[in-house]
Amino acid sequence: MVSAPVKVQHNGEWINCRITIDDEKLVIPPPVNLTIPLKHIVDLEEKKKNTLTIHRKDGSVVDLVSVEKVRFVLKHKILMKCSGYRLMVQFMSPAIRGGVLLTNAAWEKGAIIVLKTGIWCITQNKQICIQIDDVTSIELTKREVSEKPTDVVRIDHLEHHDVVSSFILTQISTLQILHNFLQEATAGIKMEGTELDAMDQQIAMLVYSGMDSSSIQNMLQIQFKEIDRVYEKLISLNMAEVKEIRREVQLTAKGVRYITDATKSGAN
Amino acid sequence: MGKILIVDDTLFMRTLLKNILFSGGHEIVGEAGDGAEAVEKYQALKPDLVTMDVVMPKMNGIEALKEIKKIDPGAKVVMCTAVGQEQMVKLAIKTGARGYVVKPFQAPKVLDEVKNVLAS
Repeated sequence: MVSAPVKVQHNGEWINCRITIDDEKLVIPPPVNLTIPLKHIVDLEEKKKNTLTIHRKDGSVVDLVSVEKVRFVLKHKILMKCSGYRLMVQFMSPAIRGGVLLTNAAWEKGAIIVLKTGIWCITQNKQICIQIDDVTSIELTKREVSEKPTDVVRIDHLEHHDVVSSFILTQISTLQILHNFLQEATAGIKMEGTELDAMDQQIAMLVYSGMDSSSIQNMLQIQFKEIDRVYEKLISLNMAEVKEIRREVQLTAKGVRYITDATKSGAN
Repeated sequence: MGKILIVDDTLFMRTLLKNILFSGGHEIVGEAGDGAEAVEKYQALKPDLVTMDVVMPKMNGIEALKEIKKIDPGAKVVMCTAVGQEQMVKLAIKTGARGYVVKPFQAPKVLDEVKNVLAS
């Protein structure tokens, strides 16, 4: 059992208290007076700074504020026992950032936990959360592991506007199930009906690479009106969002997924 | 900052890389559209670094890398390939590639990789 000081939001106020957590439950003392069985927790979010948001099966939410060390322990206990898809795996995250292979990336033994809003990869001393909304692609592919081509699941996602790839490794039978499950969990990004012509694709690719509109204009030797038309199209397809008033756009997860797929199908 | 030779069979990719590398302060000393042209231009231009596409007509990037390494064992070559072809990494690294970028790529990361390879 672990006991730690936290602030808990209760009736619109932040209450200082000392919670306890074991392998079965999280106990918040009076005046909150709440016992949460860990298996009743269906989601965990860390959107606000220092805040852990716990989603319960009954739809209620508990917000806890604490220091990083305490949150790390809480997250580990919750993630290992909560209600979610959980597998012991090896993972490499991040393995590729912005198209560059990270030479210091290594396989780590741990667990993957798929919750409503995030895919968590955890070890005893590391916790990575890939937001489901930021996932751009899930793929069952091969990667060389110990000199042998091995089946892995590749997850491409956005991290602070960097496009990052992570790999998950486990037995092939489980990997197929994990792949299907992750595809289902990220099914929100549907690409059907998203059609870009050659010029649209070139402009989207340049946005992906980090080019601003004047660089694109110079590079492609086209009128700004044409760039604006494509930006408008990317925005209306939810593939890009306005970054600045003078309309610089950046690709959303859907836009990144489209460009990744287009590059793949071109295989060059 | 370095003198760079860009090798890719698509004009669009060459222009994109040229823009990215130029914005990072590098000098683009030449471009090649296939492996054979890359080897010729390497000998003629003696660049500090080559960005080399893998899949190209006439001579692919791995073959071109081997030829360049025969001419100059210390050659600094960064391989560029599409998503899904990362199994080429090992072969390229065995052959002597110093870095590897996967298309589509993001400009700041490419510049970092080029900077690291130039400094190595």
